[in-house]
Amino acid sequence: MAIKSNIEELAIFGGARMFATPKPTSNLVRPDFDKFLDYSRTFFDRHQYTDDGPLVKQLEQRLAAFHQTKFCIAFCSGFWALALAIKALAIEGRTEIVMPSFTYRRMADIAAWTRLKPHFCDVEETTLANSAATVRPCINKNTALILGVHPIVNFCDIDGLVELAGEKNIPLLFDSVESVYESSAGRKIGSFGAAEIFSLGASKLVNGFEGGYITTNDAQLAQRLSLMRNFGLDVQGDVAVPGGLNARLNEIHAAMALAGLDDLEDQVARNRERYLTYQRLLAPLKGIRLYEFDESHHPGYKNIVIEVLDDWPLSRADTVSILNAEMILARAYYTPPLHRKRMAYPHVPVELPVTDRLAERFILPPCGHLVSNEDIADIVGLMSFISSNAASIKARLQQQGAQQQ
Amino acid sequence: MSTKDFALFGAPPAFAESLHCGQRYFPSWQRYRESFRGIFERQYYTEYGPLNQQLEQKLQQFLGVKHAICVTNETVGMMMLAGALGLKGKVILPAFAHIGAAQSLGWAGLEPVFCDADPDTHQIDIDQVAGLIDKDVSAIMGAHLWGGACDTKALAKLAEARGVQLYFDAAHGFGCAVDGIKIGNFGRAEVLSFHQDNILNASEGGCICTNDDELAARLRTMRSSAGAGKPVEVTKTVNGRMSEAQCAIALLNLEDFAQNRQNNQDLCKIYEAQLAAIPGLQLVRHGEVSVSNHQNVVCRVDESEFGISRDRLVALLKAENVHARRCFHPVLHRSIPYAQELPQYQSRLPIADSLAVSCIQLPIGALVSKQNVERICEILKRAHLEAPEILVTAVS
Repeated sequence: MAIKSNIEELAIFGGARMFATPKPTSNLVRPDFDKFLDYSRTFFDRHQYTDDGPLVKQLEQRLAAFHQTKFCIAFCSGFWALALAIKALAIEGRTEIVMPSFTYRRMADIAAWTRLKPHFCDVEETTLANSAATVRPCINKNTALILGVHPIVNFCDIDGLVELAGEKNIPLLFDSVESVYESSAGRKIGSFGAAEIFSLGASKLVNGFEGGYITTNDAQLAQRLSLMRNFGLDVQGDVAVPGGLNARLNEIHAAMALAGLDDLEDQVARNRERYLTYQRLLAPLKGIRLYEFDESHHPGYKNIVIEVLDDWPLSRADTVSILNAEMILARAYYTPPLHRKRMAYPHVPVELPVTDRLAERFILPPCGHLVSNEDIADIVGLMSFISSNAASIKARLQQQGAQQQ
Repeated sequence: MSTKDFALFGAPPAFAESLHCGQRYFPSWQRYRESFRGIFERQYYTEYGPLNQQLEQKLQQFLGVKHAICVTNETVGMMMLAGALGLKGKVILPAFAHIGAAQSLGWAGLEPVFCDADPDTHQIDIDQVAGLIDKDVSAIMGAHLWGGACDTKALAKLAEARGVQLYFDAAHGFGCAVDGIKIGNFGRAEVLSFHQDNILNASEGGCICTNDDELAARLRTMRSSAGAGKPVEVTKTVNGRMSEAQCAIALLNLEDFAQNRQNNQDLCKIYEAQLAAIPGLQLVRHGEVSVSNHQNVVCRVDESEFGISRDRLVALLKAENVHARRCFHPVLHRSIPYAQELPQYQSRLPIADSLAVSCIQLPIGALVSKQNVERICEILKRAHLEAPEILVTAVS
């Protein structure tokens, strides 16, 4: 693929798009089709397509073993897994959940569905995640739950949050959607806090079409959650716990996730290859910094995070727009942060200076199954072209903006 | 013939494999494989993909409704709908309904007001609804049960006269019609279920149907599915997506709908003919519909005439590997948390109470043959004839 020879060739100025098909930031990993069919045979032969079927049970066992936890409960999505975990764990009579603002765009909505007020905390400059230090000032007599959220690269302050939650006697839940594969000091992510939440969405490390799961070592909590995902109904068909809904994972999605687990080691190797390609090619590019994985955590290398430094010649917004026009579906990493969004439900008003600053600095460039190392070379090549031609691009953007007005 | 011939008392079960009430229609292995090969080639797994778009179009066509919005499952659809309708305060719903109907209100911050049922059709008791509407009630949620329907006209008239909204839990209602109009078109919106127990199986799944453009736009935004139209202002979003995998199964089963419905109808006819001759077993009449999907066979056990209780009959059938079900037992107002939080309903809903202890749902669907139905009916006949002995024989 030819990198542009002059700025008029940029798609944002009417040139041909660099890629014919979108280059996403979603993992969209495709497991082996025959493996998927092999797993499918199990539910097909038993004529059981949902309702705690054989593949869901098998998947839960595999995931519990993977995360080295006693229990794993599968759900129709990470969204509803998290909502049910919050409901099951929140201290009754209290009204607030402490969570970062610099995170998944639907996180506050999840809290609202559980009728808790989001109390947003700031994040650390160094980790892009919440920590004991950023959570502590948000804790008050109304705090029902603390949500620790692992960022896309590396961890939040696991030990600090565990200690703080213990000291304050408040349940701690980890959103570990982005840290499926990692270990902290040799211990697999999955067994920290009261429970940890994961997603099996198509954009995640394990693709189950849609889906989610919770890991825990707490037998009572596991039992409660497995009832809640099925309307709270026990084996007799009576409602044993309130506040349930249908959040069951179906067998087809479980078959997909199982086939994905079979391919996981290979996938991580492929992801690492992409990461190393970015690392190698971005190194000479002034103004862009690759946010590096701590390899001692055995990361899954699913997504790539880059920081737009002060000496990068264009704004982040313009950079993302230029890339998007070329079908490079790079995304701003958490913009706007949640506390800056309009919320039609109760929340605690806060000022979060670090979050505000960080929310202007990061980009997720394309990654995952649909992005080859050659694509990455082209993407970085284009960024290099943008950098070299920044002055004329800026002028042309201004001209275009003026024309549109 | 004696009680010794029943599995409950030591005989081998009548069926080697379990018979269930769920519909469980599913495409052939070959069609399944080809459909999923397509998904793996396209590498489009969820988020309003090509199959989701195709399914919504086909559903809209089939149902004659403007918008069919596919969702993860029916309960999530009901939760989204309660939010998108902007309901406040209280919502009237039948006490003889699925627990998910009441739970959807709880998630949306609404309080249920339980209404009694019609003894013949099991649908919501129209006469009682009017008396339950007060200033805090913002909506009526009807539930179309067993392949029948509520009295949609009377409910619409009442809702309009009293200025409350009307919507439906239509889990059992796919393909049914009232005066030729398919379920999906009544009230502000209706939510269908594509759970494996219902005639259109997607393993799990459902769709919200409405003829209201603005409501549809809110629901599509709430569902969180990239590319499904221009986002509009909503209070809060969910992950309410139905994946390409679920849509693939639903599309294949939609192709088979007519024959699956016919199969249900054929089985129903056998039940009707056979049960007519058994005193104390009364099949529920499909209320109001001009077309039924015949997906449920429900009958009322009159213990004094039949000879044994509903619960005893369930146990007797279970031993034969016939997994007949109690219907909505316990009823909503006797379930956690409503029994404790809303004790005022304990004495107000005699019909729902009586249905919950007397109704039984019998197997019908893809995995039930005509011979199976004949055999089940034979067991029921014998149970009636041997009732006096069954009552005094100890379970082995």
